[in-house]
Amino acid sequence: MKNELRVLRAQRNWSQADLAERLEVSRQSVNAIETGKFDPSLPLAFKLARLFETTIEAIFTDES
Amino acid sequence: MICGSKSPATRRYLYRFLTTMAIYVVLLPTAELAFKHYHPTGILAYALAILPALPIVGAIVVVGIYLGEEKDEFQRALMNQSMIWAIGATLAFTTAWGFLEVFKLAPHLELYLIFPIFCVLAGISSGVLQARYR
Repeated sequence: MKNELRVLRAQRNWSQADLAERLEVSRQSVNAIETGKFDPSLPLAFKLARLFETTIEAIFTDES
Repeated sequence: MICGSKSPATRRYLYRFLTTMAIYVVLLPTAELAFKHYHPTGILAYALAILPALPIVGAIVVVGIYLGEEKDEFQRALMNQSMIWAIGATLAFTTAWGFLEVFKLAPHLELYLIFPIFCVLAGISSGVLQARYR
């Protein structure tokens, strides 16, 4: 699934490791989500949205 | 079966898994020596014979505990995928070997070797998945 995580991270000057720490997941997990190789669960998507103070739809794009 | 970043759940998993393997390394020769020197019979023989299987069962339970404890859903998904690939590959390998045995084209494969084979295949599948998602 396409997403805006890289842009959102860049706006806050966060590394993947910084975001991983805030989400309490591994850096590898952040990388997998960011590159679209792994789609997060709804709870993790909500956590991301809260962290970036936006909506899930603003972070993730439904390609179907 | 897991390398790279180590969550607390992963560290506990590795500790527990290695503990079960250490117990296995002790119990297997214990059972062998007991049979060699004391020639047990009846229920005692069955109990001694099954003793080395207990840490193997423990190792399988340890994987289940890890999947319950790991908070990182991506790492859980990696373990699930790794297990599924390893189970599939083990079934495929042992089934193919079984037919080779039926037609006298391969020596007998002892059933207790299936778990070590599974561990090797799980290690390979875990390594491939870790490399894929690095």
